[in-house]
Amino acid sequence: MMYKILKVELFKLFREAKTWYAIAAVLIIEFIILFAAYYQGKTILELLLDNLRQSFYFEGNLLNGNLLLYIVLNSLWFNLPLILMIVSSALITEEYKTGTLKTLMLQAVSKKKLITAKYITSVIFTISILALLMLSSFLLAYGIFGDGDLVVYLGTLNFFPAEEAFCRILWAFASGTLSMIFFTTVSVTLGIILKEPTKTWIASALFLILSSLFIKADFGNFGDYFFPKLTNSWQRFFAYDLDHYSICQDNIMLLGYTVLFAFIGIYKFSKTDIG
Amino acid sequence: MKLRIIFLLILMLSVSLQAQEIDKDLLRIKERMEEVSHFTADIVVDVEAPFINMPPKTASMEYNRGEKIKFKSKDFLIFPKRGLDFTFSELFEHPFISVDRGFKTIDNQNLKVLSVIPKDEKADMAMATLYLDIENDHIIISEITTKNQGSYTLQMQYNATEILPEYIEVSFAIENLKIPLNFMGSDTKIDRKAMKSNETNTGTVKLQIKNYDISIAR
Repeated sequence: MMYKILKVELFKLFREAKTWYAIAAVLIIEFIILFAAYYQGKTILELLLDNLRQSFYFEGNLLNGNLLLYIVLNSLWFNLPLILMIVSSALITEEYKTGTLKTLMLQAVSKKKLITAKYITSVIFTISILALLMLSSFLLAYGIFGDGDLVVYLGTLNFFPAEEAFCRILWAFASGTLSMIFFTTVSVTLGIILKEPTKTWIASALFLILSSLFIKADFGNFGDYFFPKLTNSWQRFFAYDLDHYSICQDNIMLLGYTVLFAFIGIYKFSKTDIG
Repeated sequence: MKLRIIFLLILMLSVSLQAQEIDKDLLRIKERMEEVSHFTADIVVDVEAPFINMPPKTASMEYNRGEKIKFKSKDFLIFPKRGLDFTFSELFEHPFISVDRGFKTIDNQNLKVLSVIPKDEKADMAMATLYLDIENDHIIISEITTKNQGSYTLQMQYNATEILPEYIEVSFAIENLKIPLNFMGSDTKIDRKAMKSNETNTGTVKLQIKNYDISIAR
């Protein structure tokens, strides 16, 4: 039963024109970010290496696919979530708006199963978009700009050999995907609570803005367990010495927050009278 | 009268400086180094600075007399601007005098200490202190003060039979890194004390040199 509902939800999602518009928008954003990153990368490298120029001279090229992918990662996690949230929240808000939810409830479909299928559809959609983005950005970055060592500034200048940089970027994409799943799950929950598409978009945008503002805020020890900080844990993969325990802890906690928001949505939906 | 005495003193000093000879041991080492016309070798570069995290890198290098050393590597490398003068050609480029400072024991090695002062104003080096192993004809330590690029110290280890070192450690003063805030990661913690501080740190570059292929031209 669950599988059938899921199949229907996925069919509905990919039949919607807005889903394809979103995919096109995401790819355009990625393309622009990548080429903007090339020019930004030059400035960043000049600034990073300027202090060292007095004592050192350099041999080799740091403006390569790995640096561009790192810059893309920085921009992507800020620009991507809103589009994903709009599409994901539409899974439920459009049903409320068009009244199709009432028709669905007239059939022998469990409310819990239906909303769980919508959450799973949102997760599948997010993972698919991220996989597409990862594949296309890797192809473009390495195809056009080649590979090479990566330099990252996180308090210290961290240099990574090309192979290691590739692995770290891969893991950062995986961790970033978890953050995106968190945001899309929140948007479905907001859709269940607010029901109207426009209100949900505004609430989603507000949630995103607050989350990005809270990343910079200092909440002391509590901050380490607060979800806005956790959504940025992909950066930990660029610390010179990987803290595997903290990375696992952060991602597991973010997964916990995701499940919590989904449970709130499922509970709220099952208690709400659709008619 | 006073002016005459000062003039005579300056004259005497300049005459005595001109008459000062270059230390014979240093001259012998210098001549031995100058015989190296070309060499190739493989190196492992390890940079140690308080704000740089970089794994050791491998490269190959090629030297031709009168030219700067060329490096080749598939990795990104950073090299110190000073201290890669393996044959000390820059040190001995301009006429100089040496002053004997006696002997000093360092790491169970009895080393001859010399001060080297260039006579030519064009020389960037202001002064160098060299520690010589006169038994094997090697320069073990060189502390160099330049006019424009600060001071740096070279410590070298040799395979007794080789003219050139198999290990070099270059130490130099390096300024704290200052990065504009907008280029920092979104949750990068800012160490305000370190940002404001103008203190300098010491950077060290360790070079392990292997597989020398040296050409000698007498």
